[in-house]
Amino acid sequence: MHSDRGIFVPRFLHTADWQMGRSFSRFETEDGAALVEARYAAIERLAQLAVEQECDAVLVAGDVFDAQGVSDRTIRRVFNATSAFKGPWVMLPGNHDAALAESVWTRAQRLKAVPDNIQLALEPDVILLKEQGIAVLSAPLTQRHTYSDLTEDFSERETPAGLVRVGLAHGSVQGVLPDEVDATNPIAPDRAEQANLDYLALGDWHGAKQINERTWYSGTPEPERFRNNEAGYALVVDISEPGAVPEIRNVDTARYRWHQWRETLSVPSDLDGLIQRMEELLEASVLDIRLDGAITLDGLQRLDHALSLAEARFRSVRCDRADLQLEPTEDDIAALNADGYLGETIEELRQLQLGGSPEPARDALAILTGLLTSGKQEVNQ
Amino acid sequence: MRLERLRIEQVRQFRNPIALEGLQPGINLIHGPNESGKSTLVRAIRAAFFERHRSKSVEDLRPWGDSAAAPSIELGFEHGGHQWSLTKSFLQRKRCDLQVDGQSFSGEEAEEKLAELLGYQFPKKGASKEEHWGIPGLLWVEQGTGQDIEKAVEHAGDHLKSALNNLVGEVASTGGDEVIQAVEKQRAELLTGTGKPRGEYLQLEKDRAALEAEIAELQARIEQYQAQVDRLGTLTAEFERANRDRPWEEARHRMEEAQEKFRQVESLQAQQVRERETLDHVRQNLNLLRQNLEQMKSQGKKLAQRETDLRKAQETLAEEEARTPALDKALADARGDYDAAIKTVEQARQLETLSRLKQEVTRLDSQYKTLRQNLDKATDFQQKLDEASKQKQENRIDPDLVQHARVTQRQLDEEAIRSQTIATRLTWKLEQGHSLHLSEESIEGEGERRLLEETTLEIPGVGRLGITPGGEDLASVRRTLAHLEQTLGEHLRALGVSSVEDAEQKLARFRDAENRLKHTEDLLVSVAPQGLERLRTETRDTLADLEARKGELETLLKSAGTTGADLPSLAEAERARKNAEQRLSEAETARSKHQTAILTARQHVANANREWQQLREELHNSESQRQFRELADKISESEKREATVLGNLEALDKKIREARPELLQQDIQRFRQAAETQQKAQENRERELRDTRVRLEAWGAEGLEEQLSEKSGDFEHINRRYGELHRRAEALDLLLNVLTRKRQALTRRLQAPLQKHLDHYLSVLFPEATLEVDEHLMPGRFTRGNELGQMTELSFGAREQMGLISRLAYADLLQEAGRPTLIILDDTLVHSDAERLDGMKRILFDAAQRHQILLFTCHPENWQDLGVEPRDLQALKSQAVP
Repeated sequence: MHSDRGIFVPRFLHTADWQMGRSFSRFETEDGAALVEARYAAIERLAQLAVEQECDAVLVAGDVFDAQGVSDRTIRRVFNATSAFKGPWVMLPGNHDAALAESVWTRAQRLKAVPDNIQLALEPDVILLKEQGIAVLSAPLTQRHTYSDLTEDFSERETPAGLVRVGLAHGSVQGVLPDEVDATNPIAPDRAEQANLDYLALGDWHGAKQINERTWYSGTPEPERFRNNEAGYALVVDISEPGAVPEIRNVDTARYRWHQWRETLSVPSDLDGLIQRMEELLEASVLDIRLDGAITLDGLQRLDHALSLAEARFRSVRCDRADLQLEPTEDDIAALNADGYLGETIEELRQLQLGGSPEPARDALAILTGLLTSGKQEVNQ
Repeated sequence: MRLERLRIEQVRQFRNPIALEGLQPGINLIHGPNESGKSTLVRAIRAAFFERHRSKSVEDLRPWGDSAAAPSIELGFEHGGHQWSLTKSFLQRKRCDLQVDGQSFSGEEAEEKLAELLGYQFPKKGASKEEHWGIPGLLWVEQGTGQDIEKAVEHAGDHLKSALNNLVGEVASTGGDEVIQAVEKQRAELLTGTGKPRGEYLQLEKDRAALEAEIAELQARIEQYQAQVDRLGTLTAEFERANRDRPWEEARHRMEEAQEKFRQVESLQAQQVRERETLDHVRQNLNLLRQNLEQMKSQGKKLAQRETDLRKAQETLAEEEARTPALDKALADARGDYDAAIKTVEQARQLETLSRLKQEVTRLDSQYKTLRQNLDKATDFQQKLDEASKQKQENRIDPDLVQHARVTQRQLDEEAIRSQTIATRLTWKLEQGHSLHLSEESIEGEGERRLLEETTLEIPGVGRLGITPGGEDLASVRRTLAHLEQTLGEHLRALGVSSVEDAEQKLARFRDAENRLKHTEDLLVSVAPQGLERLRTETRDTLADLEARKGELETLLKSAGTTGADLPSLAEAERARKNAEQRLSEAETARSKHQTAILTARQHVANANREWQQLREELHNSESQRQFRELADKISESEKREATVLGNLEALDKKIREARPELLQQDIQRFRQAAETQQKAQENRERELRDTRVRLEAWGAEGLEEQLSEKSGDFEHINRRYGELHRRAEALDLLLNVLTRKRQALTRRLQAPLQKHLDHYLSVLFPEATLEVDEHLMPGRFTRGNELGQMTELSFGAREQMGLISRLAYADLLQEAGRPTLIILDDTLVHSDAERLDGMKRILFDAAQRHQILLFTCHPENWQDLGVEPRDLQALKSQAVP
């Protein structure tokens, strides 16, 4: 609760899609563990943020948990991480943690892990935060997939006068999000207006996204995939009075930024550009590079060197070179000093590389050139 | 290369210099017997090239016992148009000088130059060994090693290859084999020889499969878990709805309604049962009444019957009584007959007794007479018997004793006679009146006495005269006599007689009595076998019997009076009596039966009469009439009652049928079951809810999805690593493949010229055979017709031949590559037969067209047909060398 020109103005933090319990298996074990920890840290940061921003409440719009079957420890850690903010939290079950007959939520309750200041919106209802001046209309998912709009009856839900009407839902706003997003859990784009909501806090889309002046996706507070969609934020929402247009502030909460580059190497300067971009990245980065095109032996050594530097700097670096051809130049080959049948072997492998299954040939070529350039020291690709 | 001259000094047995000059291109045949120094020459040539001049390992060159020796070797040869001259000395004077076309080299420089020319190495230290010999090792064949070619080829390998490289114009990879080895090593870390994964690669493959299985299991469990969650949701909804609607109560209510209806039907049914009972009762009563009526109607008929019965009984009685007189008469006749028959029997019996008695008297009389006679005789015999017995008793004597006495008497008589003869005879004749006393005896008159004993003769008044018979015999006889007399006396006393004659008589009497006794006893037995007394008794008894019978007879005769001659025999009379008795018995029985029949008939008449009287009285009183009327009334009443009850029953039946009691019962059961089922279902739901909750709690705590996520991570890591290794294995496999293929192709290119030369020589020896060269340029597979095998499997001789052929082929190859090719053969081909040797000579001669060959032998005769002049080592030794 804070005052604005001496008047109480409800302010709350809108967040969603924490996806707790998710593991990052495609990364090295150490990196995966760090990324998992970063998500707990994100919750702690949100709590801290709520305190700093003098928020009256925190609304979590679904997918707090990544799955129903997370460990007891994960459940406890999630609720523990909220401890910094003592005000009310409202948590909404999403499609990953739907309020089924037996769910992660019932387990949490059984474990007595849920602090008193956290309300679980396990049923469609109106949660009155009178002190905070907020009435929360919840539309929890109670099945794994819903094909009807659970916010349909928001318009019929009465709220006391004087409290701002805030809808809390999880799903896809129809006709706004990209086509590939799953069409389940639909939400009408004009729900805020139609149900006379001051604000509709949404979850499911992992980037911060405005649908209209009263309808927002907060996105996940800590990115967990490479899709570049403005993940890593939370929204601080001020509504001066019922009916007023909310003021939204987008606050960066991310620890790591995720980058995915698809590059084609054709001329030497392409490699230079790539290496430079890598050098410019912040350290708290998760980097995924996929290369195609061709590279010389010299270029390969430079790339390997740059990647080994990057591995030391960044949280995680992965480079997929499956489609990158190894094309030694004449000079390269001359430098290898490969005479007799070794020379013939190199030539044959180069030819094979252009054929139907280039990979073994390319790898074989790399191994051979490695053996030739550094004696018996093999170039580690 | 052509060796032109050779000179050695102070080498082993050649303390003095020896020179071999004017060596020809082609074959040079050097011969000499064993130990003539052929091997020393060969050793000297080897030492000149292979051994460092500074070497301390050449002691074997030193002549025996010559510590100051400096073995030295000089040789000159031409190669490639250049003249080479080498002077090398060891031990005491270590020196090496080489001149090539006038240009001088010395020491190690000279040695290295030679090594490079010929293609061999020096040892780092010590004596030069096989592995250092390079190409000369291949072309210079020591005694007895011609067949071992593998080592030599191996040691010459690099030199051969570089020579061949020049030849085929190829560049063999420098370090190519090291690369192959490195690739093989790296591949071996991932793959087995046959291309199967191993080590970490294999482990990853296994781990991956294990993880896959674990993941599949986890996924299955998660699916189960989710299914359970869904079930929990469905169940909860069902449970709550049922709790709200309570469908079992409705069912129970309807069941109660059906029960009420059914109770009503039951009461109707009870009424029906009662009505049926009433009907049964009425019908029974009616039956009884009808029976009574029938009974009454039948009594009139019965009376008439009884009257008829009575009459019949009376008739029967009359008939019976009419038969009585006839039966009585028959009885009286039968009795009369019977009495007469008895009398006849009596008479017949008396007559028979009479005749029997008469016979008896006759018999007894005769018997008595006989017995009487016998008794008289017996009495007489008894008397005689008694007499004989008495006589026997009186003269009883022992015959044996009599015999003894008789013998004794005779002996005595004999002895007496003897004594008389020897006895002192005393004779006397006394005067009358005078007497003498002889001993105690008084003697008178005249007499004689034989004296045997001392005797006194007393002459009264005179005195006594003693007479003593003399002689010993007399005394003995006197004793014998006395003894015999005594014995005889004893016998006689025992016999109770005075003399033997008496005894004899007595014995005779005894025997006579005995005989008579026996005879008389026999007679007695003949008349009275059982003794006299018995006979006497028997006689007496017979007599008494006879008297008795006679008395009886007389009495009978007196009483009988008449003797009916017409009487039947007793048996006949008896039979007649029995017949009469039978007839009488029958008559009596008939009479008795008749009596009973009459009594029975009378009883019947009485009974029938009584019954008839009784019934007649009963039927004719007024009570009976009234009962009959009453009965008819009751029957009509009961029939009316029956009709009413039947009507009631029909009405009830209809009501019950309409109510459908069986359906009602089914309804009750149905609604009860429905209620129970619903309630049970609800209980089951409750239980399942509880169980599912508990199960889900347990499973939920496991964090299955998080586990799955972790396992998937592990799987992805392993899979990624596996993919990398897989790619690497593939790449290494490919690389090794290509490298090997390329190397083989190169080898094949190198093999070709060598094979050509090999074929050239081989065709001389075995036109049809082939000997293949392998990738190491080693002669390997040998084929000849159907024969197939490695060269090493051939016989020693054949191997030696193949070895030499191979060496010549190498020489040709080397020569083509411009390398020096001096061939030295030390006593080679000694194991070849004449035919093969012939072939080999052609080959050697052919090779000698291109190469210089030094051939050392101790069998010069074997090589006469080579067409070269042999050099005799013995002769050489004797030539002085300046």
